Amino acid sequence: MRIAVVGKGGSGKTTTSAVVARVLGRRGLSVVALDCDSNPNLGISLGVGDQETERLVAMRQALDEGDEEHAPEWDELIDRFGSDAPDGVRLAVVSRIENPDPGCPCCGLSPEQLLSSADFGDAIVLADLEAGIGTLTRLQDATIDAVLIVVEPTPKSIEVGSRAYGLVRDKAVGRVVVVANRIRNDEDLDRVRQAFPDAEIVAVPDDPAIVAADRSGVAALDRTADAPAVLALIGVAERLLPVAS
Amino acid sequence: MGRPGRLRVAFVGKGGAGKSAIAGTFARLLAREGHEVLAIDSDPMPGLAFSLGVAQSDAGIPDDAVVERVEGEEGPRFRLRPDLDASAAVEAYANVGPDGVRFLQFGKLTGHVAQLMRSQHAFRQIVEELPDDRWSVVGDLPGGTRQPFFGWADFAEVVLVVAEPTAKSWLSAKRLTRLAREDGTAANLLLVVNKAREAGDARLVAEMTGLTVAAVVPWDEDLAEAERRGRPPIDDAPNSGAVRAVASLVADLTGGT
Ligand SMILES: Nc1ncnc2c1ncn2[C@@H]1O[C@H](COP(=O)(O)OP(=O)(O)OP(=O)(O)O)[C@@H](O)[C@H]1O
Ligand SMILES: Nc1ncnc2c1ncn2[C@@H]1O[C@H](COP(=O)(O)OP(=O)(O)OP(=O)(O)O)[C@@H](O)[C@H]1O
Ligand SMILES: [Mg+2]
Ligand SMILES: [Mg+2]
Repeated sequence: MRIAVVGKGGSGKTTTSAVVARVLGRRGLSVVALDCDSNPNLGISLGVGDQETERLVAMRQALDEGDEEHAPEWDELIDRFGSDAPDGVRLAVVSRIENPDPGCPCCGLSPEQLLSSADFGDAIVLADLEAGIGTLTRLQDATIDAVLIVVEPTPKSIEVGSRAYGLVRDKAVGRVVVVANRIRNDEDLDRVRQAFPDAEIVAVPDDPAIVAADRSGVAALDRTADAPAVLALIGVAERLLPVAS
Repeated sequence: MGRPGRLRVAFVGKGGAGKSAIAGTFARLLAREGHEVLAIDSDPMPGLAFSLGVAQSDAGIPDDAVVERVEGEEGPRFRLRPDLDASAAVEAYANVGPDGVRFLQFGKLTGHVAQLMRSQHAFRQIVEELPDDRWSVVGDLPGGTRQPFFGWADFAEVVLVVAEPTAKSWLSAKRLTRLAREDGTAANLLLVVNKAREAGDARLVAEMTGLTVAAVVPWDEDLAEAERRGRPPIDDAPNSGAVRAVASLVADLTGGT
């Protein structure tokens, strides 16, 4: 099972990825959260803290500079470039480096190649993709089972989301959910509905609890598990459960 | 009448930090100060056009304006057609926006990566070769840490790092700062704290990044609402705290004139 999370910069991809990964983990599923962003922040939202997040960034940098051994196998990759996050989620940073070894699983495969070729066993892989649609355009047909498109109710964000929606529809992806994030009122939600008339849409409210958690660099799920936005994101994970298990 | 001194700035920062909203407003205000402004969006995803108030186009630099470099000639694989110099390319391909701001989009990612490559090379050549006695340049660079210092920000003498008072945002700013230093960027790096909500926010982000604060832009409902309507903040929320903060940034960087 492979889930990709896409959208405009700052739309809430990482926030969404983190809650969904941990909720699936809580259900006893084996979850690998792949940070595919060259500016990796998923560790913060998962709740491993800024030091551990920076350690993983430094590992990638050392690999880039030839100071770190390569990981020839997928298992070793998530072992060495990863970290244990709460709820049994395994975080791995697989962002692109400048000087890759072609074909090497730990650095020479782009996120889209990794998603289509790595053997994940029975783990659920949740990929927090880089902003924009670059990875999606290069993704092979039918290599992912579900896509979460995160959009804010702004034309900028909807524009990126619509392009993503067009691409995933063409690529035989199993399930597509539009996460309408930072919704304040009906007008906001209508903006998203109008842009995605046929899509399955989940509304996530604009919620100061998310900003407050981000300010302290902790997971919203740990700080305010009952905040409206967190509850809505838990709902997104639950929608994926039938696909996942 | 003397032309005000030119200014070349680039905005970088985490995804969604507010680069485009601030850059668009900055460009318009700079034009009102009498500068001839070229605003460039080097992000293949839409952003700046909305905040600036120009018609957005997917066009970028057309294919026929870009040629493959002849063998033996130094430089990247593609270049502007020899009869086009940077100024002529701006005249030909930059849209004219409100307040006379010229706007150049380096091409939208619609799936044609090869075409985007051509456009990207031409784009880079334009910002490198544009005569700097005439144009002020405001660059809106892609979010995150992947591209900004691989030549993209070379045109800028001031790089404005936009960061929110959140851990992900200041970590991104810190990584960008490290990259810039490693790259030997000559530009002066300054911090723009955006979406500040509390009194201590600016100091917090300054401390976490080690950068000098050039501006503190408050969290602003009116700006957010303008953006939700797809309207430039400077037109729909001209008196908002956020637009006023950008105005004082422009004043500071242009020497208060
Ligand atoms: N529902 C929400 N309510 C309020 N603020 C939110 C909400 N979701 C996200 N945010 C805010 O938006 C910011 C960006 O969120 P996040 O980092 O998850 O986005 P992203 O899409 O992963 O960004 P990037 O493009 O940098 O990877 C966060 O700092 C957070 O404070
Ligand atoms: N000072 C502010 N107050 C309230 N909202 C803001 C402020 N600055 C930016 N925003 C909002 O934050 C969102 C992201 O802004 P913007 O698109 O300018 O960011 P960006 O850094 O250019 O993102 P990207 O990385 O995708 O290019 C927009 O919805 C915008 O309206
Ligand atoms: Mg992210
Ligand atoms: Mg932008």
